[in-house]
Amino acid sequence: MAGPPTDKVNRAFPLDNFAINNTIPRSTSQHHTIRVDSEERPLPTDIIPLNKPNRTTKFAIMASRKPPTTSRPGGVIAAPTTTSSGLPTLSSDDMCPICKTIRYLNRDMEFLINPECYHSMCSACVNRLFNDGPNQCPYAGCHRTLRRKGFRSAFFGDLSVEREVDIRRRVAQVFNQVEDDFQTLRDYNNYLQMVEDLTFDLVNGDEATKRKAEGELQAWEAEHKTEIERNRRAGKEQDEQSRRRLAAEREAARQRRLDAIKEAEEEKLEKIKIKEMEIDSLERGGPLPDQQRVQLKRRGNKAVEAAANLATAASTTTATAAGDGVGKLSIRGLKEKKKEPRPEGPYDPFGGLDLQPSRYKIHAGLKHPNVDKYRGDQAHVTGGYSFEEYTSRAMFEAFAGLGVFIEDEKEVGIGLVASEVVGMGAAMAAVGGDAGNRMDLD
Amino acid sequence: MATEDARYRDSSQYRLWSFSPTQLGALREKTNAAARARISERLLSHPLPTTTTSTSSKDLSTPTSNANTPDPDGNSTPALPEFLTPPEELTLVGYYTSEILRASEALHYADEIKATAAMFLKRFYITNSIMTYPPAEMFFVALFFACKVDTGHVNLSEYTKIFNKSPEEILAGEFLLCQGLRFAFDVKHPYRALRGAMMELASFPDMQSDLKRLDAAEARARKILQFSPLMTDAYFHYTPSQIMLAALSLADRGLAERLIQETFHFVQMEGNSADTPGGGNNGGGGGGGGGERGNKNYRANEEKAKVIGSQIRDKVLGTIEACRDMLNRELPERKEHWTNKPFIKTQITPLRKKLLKCKDPERWNLVELQRVRREQAARKMDSDDEDDASGGRRVKKEEDGDIFGGDLGHSAKKRKVTMKKEEDLFGGPMLVKEDPFGGAKVKKEEDSFGGFGGVL
Repeated sequence: MAGPPTDKVNRAFPLDNFAINNTIPRSTSQHHTIRVDSEERPLPTDIIPLNKPNRTTKFAIMASRKPPTTSRPGGVIAAPTTTSSGLPTLSSDDMCPICKTIRYLNRDMEFLINPECYHSMCSACVNRLFNDGPNQCPYAGCHRTLRRKGFRSAFFGDLSVEREVDIRRRVAQVFNQVEDDFQTLRDYNNYLQMVEDLTFDLVNGDEATKRKAEGELQAWEAEHKTEIERNRRAGKEQDEQSRRRLAAEREAARQRRLDAIKEAEEEKLEKIKIKEMEIDSLERGGPLPDQQRVQLKRRGNKAVEAAANLATAASTTTATAAGDGVGKLSIRGLKEKKKEPRPEGPYDPFGGLDLQPSRYKIHAGLKHPNVDKYRGDQAHVTGGYSFEEYTSRAMFEAFAGLGVFIEDEKEVGIGLVASEVVGMGAAMAAVGGDAGNRMDLD
Repeated sequence: MATEDARYRDSSQYRLWSFSPTQLGALREKTNAAARARISERLLSHPLPTTTTSTSSKDLSTPTSNANTPDPDGNSTPALPEFLTPPEELTLVGYYTSEILRASEALHYADEIKATAAMFLKRFYITNSIMTYPPAEMFFVALFFACKVDTGHVNLSEYTKIFNKSPEEILAGEFLLCQGLRFAFDVKHPYRALRGAMMELASFPDMQSDLKRLDAAEARARKILQFSPLMTDAYFHYTPSQIMLAALSLADRGLAERLIQETFHFVQMEGNSADTPGGGNNGGGGGGGGGERGNKNYRANEEKAKVIGSQIRDKVLGTIEACRDMLNRELPERKEHWTNKPFIKTQITPLRKKLLKCKDPERWNLVELQRVRREQAARKMDSDDEDDASGGRRVKKEEDGDIFGGDLGHSAKKRKVTMKKEEDLFGGPMLVKEDPFGGAKVKKEEDSFGGFGGVL
């Protein structure tokens, strides 16, 4: 009867098609198949929480603890075949490939990996094999020497992802420059490209490229030790700052909430008070008009007070914001705002230019036969052509600049007459005195 | 200050393109001298390959031809040719201006387009010598660009078909022209002003019976405005309204004087009765019903006198009289003079011959000039990219001068130097504050190319 369930298990373990231990009861094997299916959903790998604490996977299932019975201690077993990326996935939640213990028998079973080779095994095996000092990886064909210290539980189900994340973390520790360190964006992008190439080599390269990339990485690390340390510290500081700011914001929000609650309570009390006063006045016989006014006034006062409070609060928050940047609602990433412009009068599109004509007047008598003949013209009238506009423009052009005497003004300045300004010194003075206007010439 | 005058002083025509006669003369001399110095330097450092004698110098139908003009003396040494003098340059510019007017008339372009094109050419050749850039090319460019500016857009292919030109030839000079115009495209013309003056005159009660006279005067004045101010320097020395009044006074002196008297009617009185609205009417006693125009009731007498008083009237009259004299020199009747065969033969052709000998060897061919600039700009961008991509590894570029077979090497280097020296896109100030006729102009000539070498 071992045949059919084994097939099923193998399908459920597409990557670990090693021989199933005969000791597994049939029923549990089937049960496990179902569970594994549900647990094997791939993790969303595009969201890589790098600095999250490692997940502790605990599965509350039945079955009592059972000591590992199979495989000699420290013995090398037949290695499971690996994925295309060269690493087994951490799918064997329910069976340690070394000791063949299944979760059914040991519900506290935890799988550990060592970043040396990313071969997973249960914690019992790890303890058993490596407690006495460094030992060889029990997987067949893997000759790495592992230490107890290096073992940890994997965060990702897919160990190739786990490995890539580890590599990226290590590379990011070494190449920790930020954009501000570069003169141009292009330089920064080139740097990022270089780092990414190196990472790719480390992750996906064959043995030779990997070794070469590793060498490069180490060389760089050794060469730029102080710089890396400095950047690391700067990054830390920044993290600390943002953490503090977040905390401050949270604190401020809490405070605001408290204030709001308090205010609401006060308002409630006030309302009750007013109501009582109303009832009192009714008792005394009819509401006194001036009293009601007093109430209204009180309410109005309250509103004014609230507005004033708000204003002072805003000003204080801006003041503190200028000081240490805490205690206010803020949108991060905004540049420092410039000083608020003064409130100004209505917008003057002509910049103070007086458009009132001084030499002529626009009146209805201004007519011209060549213009009048278009007054009935459909093409002009329908399009909204304004004959008044034309008239005023023509009149303006007829009189604009009549009092501009270019010769005098260009030689000595506006409002002066060349013949009156005698001597070079006087001319220079005139030009200097009218400097503002002369600047426009350039 | 009158509001109309203040508004006119804001225009680019006043700020950039108005000069006193002395200033204009000095500018032209400076331009001429700068061009002379530069061209002789270029001719000496790169002698033209063909300086052999030839007798085909009579054939000068195409002044833009790139062929080198033979030296009539048979002198094989790179002796400097005789340069055009400023008055000679002016004559040639005048000739090409008349050509623009003639061409645009044949094409039935609007008055504004004609005048704008003519003024573009004139303005361009104030700060650029006619020896530097070929007038016969710039002529087409100016006309084409004026069509664009004055909303009479013509299709480039149609335009080139009319003149049997290639589109490249027109477009090559376009930016150059803009640069020479200092990007001031708005030319203020007196045509609409004439219409306004006519409206004003027609609104006078006693003129109602004389409408025929007004029509005749307007027609004549328009004719004058279409030609005379464009052929003279009137646009540089006078405002459009002054030019219009001068033309009107040439057409009908009485009308122009009447209009001026009516406008500047204000008489400052002891009793200040002019302050009241009624007083304003009395003050304008010189005229009829329209005598109160421009009279602001609450303005001080002095202010009013400054705007429409008799003192300013006399000055306006004097200015208009001077403008009138200027226009009188180039009345429309002289149109024939500029196309007169003997005149061209005796005056223009020799100048054109002379011009071909002293032209700037490097900038005369606009198409080639633009191609070189484009290549330089493209190469500059390429090298920038390469530098970035290779992480700052600088690639040694060959010199720009190699485009012309080493011919340009020297000036290309020089161009680089000038570019660094002054990176003013607009070629520096035309006038310097302390010294209106100082050395700034020469510098501008020098830099005008360099400043744009990398931009194109």
